[in-house]
Amino acid sequence: MREITLSAAVNEALAEEMRRDDRVFILGEDVAEAGTPFKVLSGLVEEFGTARVIDTPIAEPGFMGVAVGAAMTGMRPVVDVMFGDFLFLIMDQLCNQAAKTHYMSGGKLNVPLVVRTNLGATRRSAAQHSQSLHALVAHIPGLKVAMPSSAYEAKGLMKSAIRDDNPVVIFEDKLMYQDKAPVPEEEYLIPLGEAQVLREGSDVTLIGTSSMVQVCQQAAEVLAAEGISAEVIDPRSIVPLDEATLLASARKTSRAIVVDEGHQSFGVTAEIASRLNEKAFYHLDAPVLRLGAMDVPVPFSPALEDLTVPTPDLVAEKARLLCAGELIHAA
Amino acid sequence: MPLDVIMPALGMAQDSGVIVAWHKRPGDEVAEGDVLFEVETDKATMEVEAAGAGFLADVTAAEGQDVPVGEVIARIADVAGAVPAPSVEDVEPAPPGAPEEPQIQETPEEPDAPGAVPDGHRVIMPVLGMAQDSGLLVVWLVEPGAKVAADDPLFEVETDKSTMEVPAGADGYLAALLAEPGDEVPTGETIAILTEAPVAEPMRRGAAAAPVPAVHADAPAAPEPAPEPAAAIAKSADAEFPRPRAAPVVDGRILASPKARRLALEAGIDLAVIARSGTRPPIHAADVEGFLTRRGSGGATRVLTAEVSSDTFDAFAAWAATEAGLTDPAALLAGFAAAALGRETAIVAVERGPTIASYAVTGRALSEVTRTDAAVPDLILRDVRDLGLAQVALGAAAHPVISLGTSGGRIVLTLECADPAMTAPDCLHLLSELAGRLREPLRHLL
Repeated sequence: MREITLSAAVNEALAEEMRRDDRVFILGEDVAEAGTPFKVLSGLVEEFGTARVIDTPIAEPGFMGVAVGAAMTGMRPVVDVMFGDFLFLIMDQLCNQAAKTHYMSGGKLNVPLVVRTNLGATRRSAAQHSQSLHALVAHIPGLKVAMPSSAYEAKGLMKSAIRDDNPVVIFEDKLMYQDKAPVPEEEYLIPLGEAQVLREGSDVTLIGTSSMVQVCQQAAEVLAAEGISAEVIDPRSIVPLDEATLLASARKTSRAIVVDEGHQSFGVTAEIASRLNEKAFYHLDAPVLRLGAMDVPVPFSPALEDLTVPTPDLVAEKARLLCAGELIHAA
Repeated sequence: MPLDVIMPALGMAQDSGVIVAWHKRPGDEVAEGDVLFEVETDKATMEVEAAGAGFLADVTAAEGQDVPVGEVIARIADVAGAVPAPSVEDVEPAPPGAPEEPQIQETPEEPDAPGAVPDGHRVIMPVLGMAQDSGLLVVWLVEPGAKVAADDPLFEVETDKSTMEVPAGADGYLAALLAEPGDEVPTGETIAILTEAPVAEPMRRGAAAAPVPAVHADAPAAPEPAPEPAAAIAKSADAEFPRPRAAPVVDGRILASPKARRLALEAGIDLAVIARSGTRPPIHAADVEGFLTRRGSGGATRVLTAEVSSDTFDAFAAWAATEAGLTDPAALLAGFAAAALGRETAIVAVERGPTIASYAVTGRALSEVTRTDAAVPDLILRDVRDLGLAQVALGAAAHPVISLGTSGGRIVLTLECADPAMTAPDCLHLLSELAGRLREPLRHLL
């Protein structure tokens, strides 16, 4: 199978959906000629024109409002939010309008829009361009949240998101745009809410989102060499969450570590760990552990920034403790 | 095999005991449980019983002699006269607090060999409560090799009642650790050695090593602790320290994972039983599974039931009370059960609610059934008729259990026994014989 970059996979997904459905259009900052700072959208304006690939002023609340209105009146906008950190600027349009319109209109209105944005630290972009804020939107009922872990997931999830009749926020890891993965030529969709078991194991379940899936897989390799069999699962979307697959694995292995690049406190790791504790409690042989980003503003200093995100070594170290039956936080 | 009789540890910080009197003479036949001698410690004088049957021989300690704890003072031989039995008077009293070279010399390894237990003050698992025969070593409070004073807390012990710090008992250097945190150690067993001089490489016997033979306070005939093979000894204490400090019991709760708790609950096992079996908490699923495997190795539990009318036995018991003065129906049951077991002599424990009465049955005659303090029964009779229960199956114990229930004026007998304890034909024989005796008590007398 051919291998393409995550960037190209997203580009293909958008182009295919725009060809299939002329209600689909893109708007955001630097999306047309510039093709975004990460060049993800390069070439789309040449094919679809400036009427469907719309450069906006630097005014996130404004163009997000435009997108919500367009979605309510029959279009299927894809809003490009250049950095995930800028989500704070569109919170009202996204959380108070897009997320609630279907409910508050008694089902008469749908808001079929996609917000595509990014997450991920260690790009030396400092505290305001390095955050992973997916937990903020996952908290709001009415919003779906997808987190592709490779080019294959990025394309399949984007196509499903565009076809979804409700608002979906997709977080791409900005460090993975040039990562290649096998992606079929033929069309495929990945449904939201379907986790993938990437590696089967029997001793400990490693649940990773986005780029943390790679981290978990590398940890599993290290652990396998030591005789610890780790299962690696990628939820692929955190809303809806494929709880059944995660629970089945936790019941099987009796141990789990949840790894995510959002801040650890009040984050995605806490939510997933909590569900495992509630629903697989009597199958657990150790506490479910969380590994999120450190609860600090992401440092600009490369040496410090690298310390704030989970690494394969850290995941493996925690997995060893769990499997050895060491007392964790027992005092 | 002859049994060694040693000076037992009967109290904390006791390192010797004075033999007040021998109750048996050399050459005398002794039965398990017979009082062998009396020991005076600084607190009390206590009788010490024989741990096995045989003939008293090789008595090396005279009355009035102060003998270090753990020293062999006699043997119980299999055959009368098999070993010379010098008269007690011929034994030359050793000076009080004599050094314990004999033990070291008896050990199969050269004392200087690497890994051999060093000479020095022996720290034993103390008796911290009545009826305590072992203690769970919770944690060492001193690093191997470190210097300690006599009053320094050396380790923590958990008994069924409490967790206590135990002082070193002597000044010195912690030269050898012979037990690991989590080990259930019989009282009197040596768990550490303190030396006068510092040691270059403190010894630490890993938990994987073969268990050191026990020296029970109430069973003074176990062999001397012998040094472990060098290979079984942790090569460096540094590799072991520091360990995560276990908290086996918090507010009376044994730490265990949810899964371990569920597995134990499903199997009807008390976590305390697993903890006492030597598993160091926190208990995990694998510990429960391992315990069940060990317990169940050899096969499944056998459960057999029988039902007989209670009239004939009740009438027999009434007759025995008035005509023969046998007023304890439990003793009659014990006599029947022992006979059904087909043994010349047997210990039968009768459980009735919270009370347990043990009976020694030495023959057919019901008048010879006597109460005994022997701890290990051959058979347990669990009488649940007062509770109005018909049939109970509480799971096999270490010994066969026959429960007596009641149903519509009939006695319901339920025999439970683990596979290794008795064969299937033995089980059938036992239960049918007992049922037959309850049905026709005269059968027993004939």
